[in-house]
Amino acid sequence: MPKLFSQGVFYVKKQLLGAFALAVGLSSVANVQAQGRDNVSIVGSSTVYPFATVVAERFGRSTSFKAPKIESTGSGGGLKLFCKGVGANTPDITNASRRIKKSEYDDCQNNGVTDILEVLVGYDGIAVANSRQAPQMALSLKDIYLALAKDVPGPDGKLIPNPYKTWQEINPGLPAIDIEVLGPPPTSGTRDAFAELALGGGALQIPALKALRGLGSDQAEEIKSAIAALGLPVGVYKAYAESKGKAPSGKDIFKTVAYSVREDGAYIEAGENDNLIVQKLEANPKALGIFGYSFLDENGDKVQGSLIDGVEPDFDTIADGDYPVSRPLYFYVKIAHVGRIPGIQEYAAEFASNRAMGEDGYLPEKGLIPLSDEELAQIQADVASLKRLEM
Amino acid sequence: MQTSTVFLTLLALCAVSFFVARHRSRLVGMAGGGLTTLNSLPKHYGYMAALWAGLPALALFVAWLVLESTVLQRLVVVTLPAEIQAMPPSEQGLYYNQLVAYALGNVDASQVSEAQVQGARYYSELATASKQLKMLLVSAVAVLGGLLAVLRIRPDFRARNHVETIFTSILFICSFIAVLTTLGIVLSVLFEAIRFFQVIDISDFLFGLQWSPQMAIRADQVGASGSFGFVPLLAGTLLISFVAMVIAVPVGLMSAIYLSEYASRRFRAVTKPVLEILAGVPTVVYGFFAALTVAPFLRNLGESIGLSVASESALAAGLVMGIMIIPFVMSLSDDIISAVPDTMREASLGMGATMSETIRKVLLPAALPGIVGGILLAVSRAIGETMIVVMAAGLSAKLTINPLEAVTTITVQIVTLLVGDQEFDSPKTLAAFALGLVLFFVTLMLNIVALYVVRKYREQYE
Amino acid sequence: MNKDTFKNTKRIEASLKKRYARERRFRLYGQLAVLTGFVFLFILLFDIVSKGSPAFTQQYLKITVHFDADSLGLGASPSEEDIRQANFSGVIKASLRDMFPEVTGRSDKRQLYRLVSIGAEYDLRDRVLDDSSLLGERKDIWLLAHSEAAAYLKGQVSRDIPEAERKLKDIQMDWLDTLRDDGRTRGSFNTQFFQYGDSREPELAGIRAALQGSFFTLLVTFLLAFPIGVFAAVYLEEFAPRNRITDLIEININNLAAVPSIVFGLLGLAVFINFFELPRSAPLVGGIVLSLMTLPTIIITSRAAIQSVSPSIRQAALGVGASKLQTVFHHVLPVAMPGILTGSIIGMAQALGESAPLLMIGMVAFIMDVPGSVTDPSTVLPVQIYLWADSPERGFTEKTSAAIMVLMGFLILMNALAIYLRKRFEVK
Repeated sequence: MPKLFSQGVFYVKKQLLGAFALAVGLSSVANVQAQGRDNVSIVGSSTVYPFATVVAERFGRSTSFKAPKIESTGSGGGLKLFCKGVGANTPDITNASRRIKKSEYDDCQNNGVTDILEVLVGYDGIAVANSRQAPQMALSLKDIYLALAKDVPGPDGKLIPNPYKTWQEINPGLPAIDIEVLGPPPTSGTRDAFAELALGGGALQIPALKALRGLGSDQAEEIKSAIAALGLPVGVYKAYAESKGKAPSGKDIFKTVAYSVREDGAYIEAGENDNLIVQKLEANPKALGIFGYSFLDENGDKVQGSLIDGVEPDFDTIADGDYPVSRPLYFYVKIAHVGRIPGIQEYAAEFASNRAMGEDGYLPEKGLIPLSDEELAQIQADVASLKRLEM
Repeated sequence: MQTSTVFLTLLALCAVSFFVARHRSRLVGMAGGGLTTLNSLPKHYGYMAALWAGLPALALFVAWLVLESTVLQRLVVVTLPAEIQAMPPSEQGLYYNQLVAYALGNVDASQVSEAQVQGARYYSELATASKQLKMLLVSAVAVLGGLLAVLRIRPDFRARNHVETIFTSILFICSFIAVLTTLGIVLSVLFEAIRFFQVIDISDFLFGLQWSPQMAIRADQVGASGSFGFVPLLAGTLLISFVAMVIAVPVGLMSAIYLSEYASRRFRAVTKPVLEILAGVPTVVYGFFAALTVAPFLRNLGESIGLSVASESALAAGLVMGIMIIPFVMSLSDDIISAVPDTMREASLGMGATMSETIRKVLLPAALPGIVGGILLAVSRAIGETMIVVMAAGLSAKLTINPLEAVTTITVQIVTLLVGDQEFDSPKTLAAFALGLVLFFVTLMLNIVALYVVRKYREQYE
Repeated sequence: MNKDTFKNTKRIEASLKKRYARERRFRLYGQLAVLTGFVFLFILLFDIVSKGSPAFTQQYLKITVHFDADSLGLGASPSEEDIRQANFSGVIKASLRDMFPEVTGRSDKRQLYRLVSIGAEYDLRDRVLDDSSLLGERKDIWLLAHSEAAAYLKGQVSRDIPEAERKLKDIQMDWLDTLRDDGRTRGSFNTQFFQYGDSREPELAGIRAALQGSFFTLLVTFLLAFPIGVFAAVYLEEFAPRNRITDLIEININNLAAVPSIVFGLLGLAVFINFFELPRSAPLVGGIVLSLMTLPTIIITSRAAIQSVSPSIRQAALGVGASKLQTVFHHVLPVAMPGILTGSIIGMAQALGESAPLLMIGMVAFIMDVPGSVTDPSTVLPVQIYLWADSPERGFTEKTSAAIMVLMGFLILMNALAIYLRKRFEVK
């Protein structure tokens, strides 16, 4: 019997040892608590991401707060997550490379995200760039529109699917290489801004389209005849009116026509990741890429910005507004989370501080175009008072 | 250490139950006229008691861990001021989140209100109480279970069968998880895929020749219409897989033949593990290698001989993927060639055939079905490979068979569609699930066919 | 007759030559194939090691720092919080200007400040926090160099490249040369790489957070996959009746083994994140997903190990009256254990190197803090590699390769352990 007993103990011992190991493992796993989140959660634009991470890093190092977690999800994706609702399992801040849209604002309101603080961070030019191994391009907005729009006016003024294959077909002064442009997808704020500023700007140089844009929603007949003149089906007008529930203005139709990007392979959606586009350009000297100026600045040794309407994208031309394709950068804060999740307002204040966003701050050093002094003071006041955004 | 303390206590109680029950069963047996009057061995009674003590208590323990935070929240919120209770649940959750963060010492007192401080105090009390109660209840249930088992000890109680049934059930549940996983995969991709096919016609998806998922994700956005034709993706995937196979199959197969038929034992013992390192390299490393080393190299090489090679050429991704698959093909072929009976080898050699003739005329034909099966498995692996193509393949869906051009694959598109935009209503994100479904089925079919072929072949020689 | 034999021999002799040549050629192909494998492996490893090894040295610049209370904005007896908020970057800039008084232009000054990493200010802050008597002192301190400057000091950037095509300008190189000639530069082992989390500055970026994240993720994976995998294998080998359900399970396991890993990521996204509302970016979810992924590997190898246990052991145990369960747990499993462990380690190694499914569940994020539990936001080593590989700063290329070296080190260790166990097992 004693022998059997000792054997039993031996087995139990061995199993206990295993169990102990398991228990030690479990104990480190056990802290399964979804509650008590004490770090700021940030999502949003890939253009703001490099600035936000720099601020987050400084913020984490210099204060007693935890460093925020930042996911790069694109402006649209970020706002969707942001507007899902209030609560510890939703993000506190979303970065955007364009202003929040009315529809997104309404979405937020409907989901209980009623109070939003808007912080303008600075400006970013959108560069159309290519590899340094290739000659620098000099484009006009019209060239860009003709190269990238889905439908462009044909010889008779009617819209036809974009027929251009090489840059030279558009403008004899341009090289005879294939149109191959890497750019962001529609979720991206860069894309929205690019469509509005570059494509829209280019389309305005075509008289018929410019005239269309000038028509108000009360000029239905004029709009219809303009649509007919462009060779679009007249149904476009009716379809638009039905889907939106109101009579479209000439501008609405103009947007539909001018902002649509071609889908035949000349424009390549390269994902949200602007870094990737830079790397791809470096490897493919024939391609052009569309991305934020900060990436151009950071990679000035690999890629060069094309002249647009004769202006080269650089720090000064963008700050002055000479460079035609530049847009503001924002982030949005859920005011309901301020004071509930530690560090949100402090993070926002750090972002808006002089040492970050000021003329000699660390963000301009990373390629952000700073605000004017008045704008900056206004933003700092907004952050301090948690000004609610009204739309 | 709380959790582990409870866990260890539970184990200790199980052990105690084991010994008590074993001891008692011996007493019962002796009283009844010797141990042989017991239906089962004393230790079976011990196991039974340990299981009775452990399983219900463990279930309680796990349930407690899962439900604890929700219950605590309810309890704490009830004591909070009325205006907090009147808050909408989301805001209340935030308020409570902060309270907990304060209670855990992650937030300064300066940031919380008086009510929260009190709530936090109450929370801490409750949390401590919950821990103690958990310990107590779990122990109580364990003791009770053990006791119940001990009391049930009768000479005619079939403890062994009882224990074995319980154990077998646990084992069965563990193995059934595989089925649940498959089910989970199918359901999670199927539901979203069905929603996708409500928006996009299934035949447009399967036979469409254009993949351009630009689609407005907001109502007021002027986006493109979006087209979801799957064919270019499939073509791209197959092109890259084909390049990979062109590298992997000859190298892998010839290596396997050399190592199993020619090489000395020692050479083989060293070479095989070294080559298998290639299979253990993480795919993200291959991706890095492909994107930063192989692709630029190929492009420069192409330039120097006047060829235009895209920077994300299918060739670069496929080449690197091929390297990854070499050991896979090698191991499978090796197994299969070794499985060919020696009698066939010896018969051929005895007839005066050279080694290479034996291999080509006897071994390979005999092993062919197995090798084909192995190659199919390798193809299925190439199709599902993600990181290499995400990092080194292109994004534009071109329908081409030129490996020097950039193509995109199913897995690349899944990643691009999902990473970054997580809303579940636009066809764009739903498309990822449809692609996932297709990917799952394609690899499943390849796998079933391959396993069938391999098994059939094995049976032939066993 | 004789004549015919002679003729035949002649013919055979002629053909033999050809056949032997063919034999040699075939053999050569085999050798070439093995060699090709070796060459690929060598290129891969060489490429990574040569790119990554510079990352293990960190460059420092010896700068005379004047801890001037005024420019720090500190009063007579500053509190800790005051010191935290003090303007250390201004002090560094002033110190650099003192060392190079000839620099005057605004952009030149900016170039000058770029020699030193932003991490240096936090380093100075910590020094003052440790020892407030430093205030007012003037002291030579080794400050961390900016990654671009470090690249030059390590000899990775050469002046031959046209100035427009490199980040570091000629004037900066001149300053660095001056510092070097004065013995004011030094390289030392990069311990920070193993101490800190991610950073936007290559010289400050470390893998600690990712390593810890990988550890937690693997822990969850192991705790789930190992017991479940072994139990499932035991059931299928020893207990399962031959019926439809068993067949179903077996088919499922075999197929799951071939399901692409990214599909498991889709499962995790749909089930654990969206349905069970578990936190995004958490090792808990990552671990669960990876455990489902490695389960088939563990089950299949464990089954093979159990199968290879000699039937005589089973028969002996059963023969002396052991129950089926006893036989399995007391006799079969201990013998099969080395094999099972081998399989499990290989499964774990797979999980450690896996990144695709983790992209789907939000583990791609900028994480500086080292995670402390399985629900803290974190990333894992392979995902960190993926993130760094996409970063534009050139300094990250070597960091990426260095992280790969660390990851490969762990994998080789795990596989070596597995091989060792297999060897011991085979002797038995």
